[in-house]
Amino acid sequence: MVEEKKSRRRSASQWAVAWRRFRRNKSALIGGAIVGFFALVAILGPFIAPYPARSYQPLYEGAAAEPPSWKHPFGVEDSGIDVFSEVIHGTRNDLYVGIAASVLTTLIGIAIGAIGGYFKGIVSDLVLGITQLFFVIPVLLLILLFARVFSILVFKGLGLTLIVLILVFFGWSGVAFVVRGETLRIKEMEFVQAARSLGAGSSRLLFRHIVPNILSPVIVITTLGIAGFILTEVVVSFLGFGDANTSTWGLLLNEGFSFVRTEWWVSLFPGLAVVFCVLGFNLMGDGLSDALNPRLRE
Amino acid sequence: MTEKLLEITDLRTYFFTEAGVVRAVDGISVDVKSGETIGLVGESGSGKSVTAQSALRIVPRPGRIVDGSIKFEGEDLLAKSEDEMRKYRGPKMAVVFQDPTTSLNPVYTVEKQLTDILMLHKDLTKQDARKSALSLLERVKISEPEKRLRAYPHELSGGMKQRIAIARALSCEPRLLFADEPTTNLDVTIQAQVLDLLKQLQKELGMTMVMITHDMGIIADMTERVTVLYAGKVMEVADTKSVFTDPKHPYTEALLKAVPSVAQTRTLEVIPGNIPNLIEPPAGCVFHPRCKYAKEICMKEVPKLEKAVEGHYVACHRWRELKLEGR
Amino acid sequence: MIPVFLGVAILTFAVGNAAGDPITLIRVGLRNPSPAVLAALRAYYHLDRPVYERFLLWVWELLHGNLGLSVTGRPVAQQIGAWALTTMELQIISLVLAVVIGIPVGIYSAKNQYTKQDYAITSVAIFGYSMPTFWLGIMLIILFSFDLGLLPSSGSKGISFLWWGSSFLDHLAHLILPVAVLTYVSLATIVRLVRANMLEVLRQDYILAARASGLSERTVTYRYALRNAISPVVTILGLSFGASLGGAPATETTFSWPGLGYAFVQAALTLDIPLVQGITIVITLMVLAANLFTDLAYAVLDPRVRID
Repeated sequence: MVEEKKSRRRSASQWAVAWRRFRRNKSALIGGAIVGFFALVAILGPFIAPYPARSYQPLYEGAAAEPPSWKHPFGVEDSGIDVFSEVIHGTRNDLYVGIAASVLTTLIGIAIGAIGGYFKGIVSDLVLGITQLFFVIPVLLLILLFARVFSILVFKGLGLTLIVLILVFFGWSGVAFVVRGETLRIKEMEFVQAARSLGAGSSRLLFRHIVPNILSPVIVITTLGIAGFILTEVVVSFLGFGDANTSTWGLLLNEGFSFVRTEWWVSLFPGLAVVFCVLGFNLMGDGLSDALNPRLRE
Repeated sequence: MTEKLLEITDLRTYFFTEAGVVRAVDGISVDVKSGETIGLVGESGSGKSVTAQSALRIVPRPGRIVDGSIKFEGEDLLAKSEDEMRKYRGPKMAVVFQDPTTSLNPVYTVEKQLTDILMLHKDLTKQDARKSALSLLERVKISEPEKRLRAYPHELSGGMKQRIAIARALSCEPRLLFADEPTTNLDVTIQAQVLDLLKQLQKELGMTMVMITHDMGIIADMTERVTVLYAGKVMEVADTKSVFTDPKHPYTEALLKAVPSVAQTRTLEVIPGNIPNLIEPPAGCVFHPRCKYAKEICMKEVPKLEKAVEGHYVACHRWRELKLEGR
Repeated sequence: MIPVFLGVAILTFAVGNAAGDPITLIRVGLRNPSPAVLAALRAYYHLDRPVYERFLLWVWELLHGNLGLSVTGRPVAQQIGAWALTTMELQIISLVLAVVIGIPVGIYSAKNQYTKQDYAITSVAIFGYSMPTFWLGIMLIILFSFDLGLLPSSGSKGISFLWWGSSFLDHLAHLILPVAVLTYVSLATIVRLVRANMLEVLRQDYILAARASGLSERTVTYRYALRNAISPVVTILGLSFGASLGGAPATETTFSWPGLGYAFVQAALTLDIPLVQGITIVITLMVLAANLFTDLAYAVLDPRVRID
């Protein structure tokens, strides 16, 4: 009892130290600010966008295919869709995909990875084998393939959630691999041996001692994972394998590509949104990594 | 009078980090006479390793020598160019590092690491360098030297690796050897062997040695004179016997009290507190927060290094009044 | 190796049979292959057998190099060769450039940590892997092709036409933009990794010891430090190549580069299942080969890893 309280108290100050370190890191803070900005846009989305999602309203107002102007800051597509509104609507959807995929990936990855690292023998080898498999296979190709097949077979069309599930199916192995490695490493550490010698059983060891100590790399991976999943979604939608009825940045880029010669604004602005959003998560992830990983320089 | 081989005067080496300026060496002066073995003793963070690094001018970034002078054989080392300094490293001064597992390059064989240095400084051919390396290994009493030459560091034991590190340091017959905690990472049984080896080699080569350690036992065993360091400053300088029998600085006394001995009947005394923050060191005497004799003046004024007796110097405001316990 | 191959085979087989069997799926995709092709495909997929037998027989075909017929009737294996070379041309040139430029830049950045140059390099790198590769391509196309009219944006005839003489310069012109884009993105990862590893290695005692022995800065950096820092980079190169190859669909589509990625996208959109499966298998093999190569290279560079 006493020993558990102690380890949790130690953890509390670990986080405080890391938070202070994070605060000192300029680029991490910039990243956090960017992410906060996009989160705000995502939440306020429907209220601040001039036009509803996928609306052809500007066409009826005679503004189709117009370059950026005061009324349409990001210009208008050939079909009449206002790019500015679409980017705003897309923020919510892309963040949803990125965050949902990353969180689910992390949860599954922790579960499988911890089991794979904790139990020796066949279980461990199996987990290792499967995760290594997913490292080598051309994941994007399979994602595209799965997305295409399911969008044909599923009556309602693809939908964001199905995309998330496909991304998770191919993405959990990265987290599992790292978690397995960390679990193996922590398992051999002395405080685990100490807990075991005091009578702690497997599940107690796993959840009370090992998991809290692997949280640091997991937090970093989850944050960086959001960046990665957003990029993947953008590629998938750009190539035409996404959901054609949901506003996403990738879809915009897809529509813009057909008119890349004449309507550069449809390709530029959604792309910039992607770059900055992903940049924000990358900077934040790097900052978290530096903050949580004590790298003594002296 | 024997010449002063190495003369370090008021050296200041600071590390310019993101967290602030770390004053690793903050006004250290050390003199080493030719042929003698002196000790630099102190806890980690006292500046002993950085002093040696400064002498060879290999202080890693973000560290820099900001003030003071370093003279070797009368020559001002701080005025030398990098090319000139490289000629000193190896043939004039060398270092044996603490952890042989990390001080040997893991991707090259022992032979390569030794011959690289031999070919550079002595202008030997590859075969001659190899022969040289072989005799070096024999000199440090390594069994089956032929086999060890071809080995990679990770294939060798700790004791053997340290002997090789010693061989590397001595390969160009330096006049001065810095031994930076050479036995701290070794098993106790090997420690004695390595120390004996160092003593023997020193005699054979007529080498001057600076023994850097936190272990007073090693000081007693190996050195003639001692400089006691704390938080980048010199606390006390004396010949070894005097340091042990008649310490004049509270820190020295505390160090002696912290060393266990078989004949001991009292409990070990631990020095309370932690090593100070080198970015913002305490005002006044840098040891005062942990000193049981501290008075008001100790918190305000930095004590200067004063001569107590011939050859015995101390930096303490109260050295005249205090009756400290030796061994 | 074999489990990877099997894993991919299982996955592509599963998807191909998601609608019961590949033919149904093709039909759902509203393609109507000619009766001759349909018959050939039925035989190729052994549709008269139960599922598990179908899988084994299909793998058997694959091992014999029989990748079936595309819905257009042309044998898959025949087309893949030219596409593969075209893709490899782009990938390998970019990889080599990224390595040749990336390693020195990473070293420079590490040795000059905390300076303005280091921050500049790191920032440029971080932008590099925050952007979709193809989007950079689009932006460059807009800038160089349309606005400035300097470089072509599409229409590369692919490598098989290279040897027919006159169009070498033309081919080169077509190469510049896609190579620039792919190189930049690979560079970002490589510079970052080399920098991180070099920083770690330069902190080590054996580097301090090497300097203490009087070795020159160049020897210390390149022979002692880099040699230690490079092994993980080599492993990552393998993964990076896989990732780059995975990004081929988007990049090649952007530049209309007639390689495996471009063909894959077209095939997948039209649900040309045999073609899709074939391309996936081939790309997997390419990634496997790359990883095998990097494993060997790693063993050469780091003696601690070798099989005793």
